[in-house]
Amino acid sequence: MITLDKLNRKEAVRYLGGAGIKLNYRMDSLMDECEDEILKKASPKFLYIEKDLPFSEIMQGEDIKSHLEGCEKAVLMCATLGAEIDKLIRISQISDMARAVVLDSFASVAIEQVCCKVDEMLAEKYDEYYMTFRFSPGYGDYPIELQKDFLKLLDAPRKIGLTTNDNYLLLPSKSVTAVLGLSKTQIERRKRGCAVCNMRDKCQFRRNGEHCGF
Amino acid sequence: MDFKGFLNDREFVLLDGAMGTLIQKSGVKYNSVPETLNISNPELITSFHKAYIEAGADIVYSNTFGANAYKLKESGYSVDEIIYAAITNAKNAVSGTSSLVALDIGPIGQLLEPAGSLSFDEAYEYFKEQILAGKEADVIVFETMTDLYELKAAVLAAKENSDKPIIATMTFERNGRTFTGVSPASAAVTLTGLGVDAVGVNCSLGPNELEPVVSEISKYTNLPIVIKANAGLPDPNSNEYDIMPDDFAKCVSSLLKYGVKIIGGCCGTTPEYISKIKETLKKERYQPQKKSVDTTVCSASTVVEINGPRIIGERINPTGKKLFKHALVDNNIDYILTQALSQVGGGAEILDVNVGHPEIDEKKMMVRVLKAIQSVCDAPLQIDSTKPDVLDAGLRYYNGKPIVNSVNGEEKSLSEVLPLVKKYGASVVGLTLDENGIPKTAEGRFEIAKSIVERAEAIGIDRNDVYIDCLTLTVSAEQDACRETLKALHRVKTELGCKTCLGVSNISFGLPNRELVNRTFLTMALEEGLDLPIINPNVESMTGAVCAYRVLSGIDKNSTDFINKYNDAAPAVSESKTSEIDIFTAVYSGLKNEGASITQKLLESTDAMQIVNEMLIPALDKVGDDFEKNKIFLPQLIQSANTAQECFEVIKKHISVTSGSPVSKGKIILATVKGDIHDIGKNIVKVLLDNYGYTVVDLGRDVDPQLIVDTAVEQNIKMIGLSALMTTTLKSMEETIKLVRERKELQNPDGTSKCVVFVGGAVLTKEYAMKIGADYYCKDAKESVDTAKLVLG
Repeated sequence: MITLDKLNRKEAVRYLGGAGIKLNYRMDSLMDECEDEILKKASPKFLYIEKDLPFSEIMQGEDIKSHLEGCEKAVLMCATLGAEIDKLIRISQISDMARAVVLDSFASVAIEQVCCKVDEMLAEKYDEYYMTFRFSPGYGDYPIELQKDFLKLLDAPRKIGLTTNDNYLLLPSKSVTAVLGLSKTQIERRKRGCAVCNMRDKCQFRRNGEHCGF
Repeated sequence: MDFKGFLNDREFVLLDGAMGTLIQKSGVKYNSVPETLNISNPELITSFHKAYIEAGADIVYSNTFGANAYKLKESGYSVDEIIYAAITNAKNAVSGTSSLVALDIGPIGQLLEPAGSLSFDEAYEYFKEQILAGKEADVIVFETMTDLYELKAAVLAAKENSDKPIIATMTFERNGRTFTGVSPASAAVTLTGLGVDAVGVNCSLGPNELEPVVSEISKYTNLPIVIKANAGLPDPNSNEYDIMPDDFAKCVSSLLKYGVKIIGGCCGTTPEYISKIKETLKKERYQPQKKSVDTTVCSASTVVEINGPRIIGERINPTGKKLFKHALVDNNIDYILTQALSQVGGGAEILDVNVGHPEIDEKKMMVRVLKAIQSVCDAPLQIDSTKPDVLDAGLRYYNGKPIVNSVNGEEKSLSEVLPLVKKYGASVVGLTLDENGIPKTAEGRFEIAKSIVERAEAIGIDRNDVYIDCLTLTVSAEQDACRETLKALHRVKTELGCKTCLGVSNISFGLPNRELVNRTFLTMALEEGLDLPIINPNVESMTGAVCAYRVLSGIDKNSTDFINKYNDAAPAVSESKTSEIDIFTAVYSGLKNEGASITQKLLESTDAMQIVNEMLIPALDKVGDDFEKNKIFLPQLIQSANTAQECFEVIKKHISVTSGSPVSKGKIILATVKGDIHDIGKNIVKVLLDNYGYTVVDLGRDVDPQLIVDTAVEQNIKMIGLSALMTTTLKSMEETIKLVRERKELQNPDGTSKCVVFVGGAVLTKEYAMKIGADYYCKDAKESVDTAKLVLG
């Protein structure tokens, strides 16, 4: 069970292109309301399984090889905020678009926080290992088509209601699948940098000489 | 003996336990899906069935849970092959015993619309294929369902392609809902209406935690109830379940008081569990329960019990509404959704949906609007049309149990509409008129009501599901008619025991102060027993009258609802406050209400186009500028746009009153391409374009390329905006552009394209946009507006 009691507002503002902007009172209270609403409606769920490497079913492309280099095991994980969040954002798009984008941004923050909690839990469980960061289908040359295999291996549709459509979009949409490597020996710390990012050519952060922190 | 024989003759009907658990325990390996074992290792599967039969199972589920075309795609086998083999294995196992074989069908594995992109019809086809392949089974089982819409498609597929009995079970979370938010009550009401033979719960939790779910189901159905629970929770490390057979059987028997008759086990259970249950049940008796809630309608998440006045919102109806008609012709579904949400906000608990208009395809529009409303609104709906084929389509694609509006005493209507109501398990409004028109007297209307109820009951529709409308006539034309309506209503309520509904506002046509007349009539009708007033819930005095009536008649216990509604009602905003700011400030700061009222004032002294060109547009430009310079962020940009939109609405209304022609700078199609359902970016673009005075034809998300091209041709539209979020859906964007370019009607005589296509979306780049043939790439909503200005002016 994962519960969220607070969301990172600074991050939510940043997603909305508001880094460095001083929020006025009305924006501030809109942010407050949306944070509360996401916390109320989110129903975070996650699954993971451990696989010994090499595990050919998930090895496609070069980037995953270098990501898991030197690892003995991999953990496949998935997490979702649940279908209510999608519905909430859908409704607010009809009644109040400004609210919708704020909700959407907080929901993105929320799923990231859920994933971080899963990371922490895994780090504790596998404390005799060094652990890589999360690497997801769609990063770099790691095929997005693997979403379907990930979900199947995790039995995610049945266990937590997480599915994909024919175009490999995760549904509910505020969801993540990823693989983490485990190694008994220290892993060279790789930054999840722009190099593996799909957005690198058009990233607002990069354009402004910043980094998203990812 | 068949399944129905079991239900009649046996105290309890025993199902089997888990198949997956036995397969896992056996350690056998299989390729891709466990259903392939039916062919690669039939002896093993047959032996599992036999073990359950020996343990006491009256029915075994074939090993076909995931045997649908979607999940079998990479298995190397067809649905036919797997299901045929599976049924043969199960038949071999039951041969020589009295046990039956159930064709087991689980969820497809893809999310249906509106949350996902699998359509209702596609889901239906998946299930149909399975049902036809498994026609040798004795019973059809749908289990582990989490989406009532998917389950409805499944049940219809079974009903329309087989005559086998149906068991339907869903799986609920600890919060008492399924993953998609379905409540046990909605499941019970809807499935009972669709005519399944047993309803219940499987998988989910252990039997020790199912009491709330099972007791809720039993309140809403008279059907025998099924439970097939997990053996508790799995240990994350060992995957062992934590409830042992003894305790499992004890827990199950503690639930018998809710009318549970059909019992088995799900994940983690084995033959040992089934024989324990059998042993425990020897001492028990089936305890059939009569449902305690009789008159209901529902959506997938919300049941409304008709046990006192409930407001039906009347505003989704084009009759006499210019803007609404425009919205229908322009496919402006958002306008209709806004109406839906505001009515629910006003206090409507059910919404009437009427989209009849000569210039559109009513059937298509009804389905589209029902689906769209249900994607954002939990209130049950009333499908309103005079055409049986529209009602049929609406009923088919509605998720839950709706009301049909309406049937009347004419033979044609009775014979066309009532069978639809029965088939889809809906409620129906019965109008007290027939071939001879509306009877003048209460007596005449009562007789028609009676005959409608008799006809309904004759084909198996419960009289609780017939809501009689005694018809409101205009009192200024026929003053006595009001008394007759109320007299008839009273008799229907007391003598027929039916619920009643009534459209109220007709009463006051031709009179001054209509609202006062309407409210007084409403109060009189409520006192005579009106259950379902069809009114405009956003007229506070009408909604308020219903709330007050609920207090005065003792329905609203301790006046709780009334106090909640009125105790801290905010005093009306005073006018003077708004006049202190100008329109520029209102737009720049995103003050919606103020913007509208300032515009209203300005129109008294200023030309409409001058307001647009000299005040609104410059304010929006300043907002856009500041957004680009990172002085304000996205929500502010949108709020300003929304405020400007309010101002434009006021201006549009003013112009259509004074000159009749609405202002538009040109039409633009927006769509999120086929396969993609992330449409928030497209919607932001829409808000902005709207505000700069363009007419946006929003085709929604997951849009078929053909629809986009056809719309462009039909409405002569020169500009198309497409969005896609995923690399995987960019190909749909490319296809759409290709189709636009190929269409003859969209080409100039020299073969060049008449249509300008602009594209956007997270993974797009300018280079890629050009490569796939777009004219413009827009990095954000602001750039889309700039592009529109460039192209359309």
